[in-house]
Amino acid sequence: MKKWQQRIGSWLSEHLELPSDVVLELPRITTIGQLHAYIENHRGLLLFSENELRLNMEYGYLKITGKNFVLKMMLPEEILLEGTIKEIVFIEE
Amino acid sequence: MKQTQGVFFTGYVTIKVTGHHPELFFDLCARNGITVWNIRKVDNATCTGNVKLAHIRNIRALRRKTIYKLSFVNKKGLPFLTKMVMFRRPLVIGLILSMLFVFFLSNVVWDVKIKGVPLDIEKKITTQLQSYGIKPGAFKFNIGSPGDIQQKLLDDIPELLWVGVSEKGTTYHLEGVEKTTVEEKEKKGPRNLVATKEGEIVKMFVSKGQPIVKVHDVVHKGDLLVSGELGKSKEEEEDESKEQTAKELVAAEGEIIAKTWYETEVIIPLEANYEVLTGENKKKYYLGFGDFLLPVWGFFDHEFDQVYKESSQKNFHFLKWELPISFVKHNIQEKEFVNVERTNDEAKAEAIKQSTKDLQEKLGHEAEITFEKVLHETIDNGKVKLTLYFTVLEDIAKPQPLSQGD
Repeated sequence: MKKWQQRIGSWLSEHLELPSDVVLELPRITTIGQLHAYIENHRGLLLFSENELRLNMEYGYLKITGKNFVLKMMLPEEILLEGTIKEIVFIEE
Repeated sequence: MKQTQGVFFTGYVTIKVTGHHPELFFDLCARNGITVWNIRKVDNATCTGNVKLAHIRNIRALRRKTIYKLSFVNKKGLPFLTKMVMFRRPLVIGLILSMLFVFFLSNVVWDVKIKGVPLDIEKKITTQLQSYGIKPGAFKFNIGSPGDIQQKLLDDIPELLWVGVSEKGTTYHLEGVEKTTVEEKEKKGPRNLVATKEGEIVKMFVSKGQPIVKVHDVVHKGDLLVSGELGKSKEEEEDESKEQTAKELVAAEGEIIAKTWYETEVIIPLEANYEVLTGENKKKYYLGFGDFLLPVWGFFDHEFDQVYKESSQKNFHFLKWELPISFVKHNIQEKEFVNVERTNDEAKAEAIKQSTKDLQEKLGHEAEITFEKVLHETIDNGKVKLTLYFTVLEDIAKPQPLSQGD
């Protein structure tokens, strides 16, 4: 069922030029160098520490590692992370 | 960042959450619509973050469902600040009182400085100023503008030629110029007195010089009245010139009062409208904030049909700055329209009165004016046109320097 929906979604975003993050319910990550990461459309926080942030996504989860992490802002589906970002890893289940 | 804008004014609290995976509590908050910012993980089991003061109640409700321990670390923002300030009430009251005190002192006249006039006039100015209420210790907003003071001083002290009033902070600086009646030069050159206009001589007072004309003589403009050459008549002159005695020249001085004649034309309407103030008035006082006027005294509206309104505005000062707050005084005076219908005779009397006044103004207050008769009279379009005839007794002498011919 989910696969089918996803397929329609990617078709929509490809042919109708709809923004894929909205259609496919994927997180949109905006980073400013290593300083900030702005993550929208996540599905909840799993873990947060000075060196690591883990966010739940629709499919799998997102892992950001680095140093001196501070969550500058936390809204229902948005997170602004500050610190020195080393890597952003998508982990599929 | 919009969410955390203005949090200083609404107040915010730094909370500390202790427990297993404390960041999850913040996640829970966020999912319940509570904005959290500046989340830091202090150690494995503690986490701090800021929340709005208004959300504290919701957070408490949320916490009850969890096993986390919550403590408030820091309280910031205006609500806490005011609370703290209220706690130190005497300090605040003292601060306000001192501000009021400075404000009060900024609106008081501290000094009046007068420059450029001799001591006696300075004294006069001081007493006059005191009668206007301008003296050290007086409130400034009761005092008119410097321009008004200037005008009033000039009206009330005839010795003053000019006075400049300027207001510098709490001090009034006055600079005056005394009217020095310019004394005619002590050593006047030899001169004659001649007639300025046609007339019949009525009286003569000659203090220096030799009169040429006699009482009841009719003279024309430019005629010699008093000669500055002494000691000779025409017959003598011939003899004396032979004898080579130097003629003595003096500055002729004197008053020659002559009867002169004037014809004036006046037009007076039979019907006239004018306004008079009845004397009934109402004073209103306001505090003005920009264009807005807050009534302070005199709340009720006047019941006058026709009014003449005078208003004055005086800005408050704080130290050297002018505040946008002002003290506004309105004086509302009742006026009445008066409609006068004159009869022919009344119009004539009015015309005579008016032209006498005009003439007096033209000739100076020493001239003695007597009305003789109406020469011509027509009524046209509700107006009376009169040609009037006056005789005037006035001084017609005018000095004319004698050329010495050397």
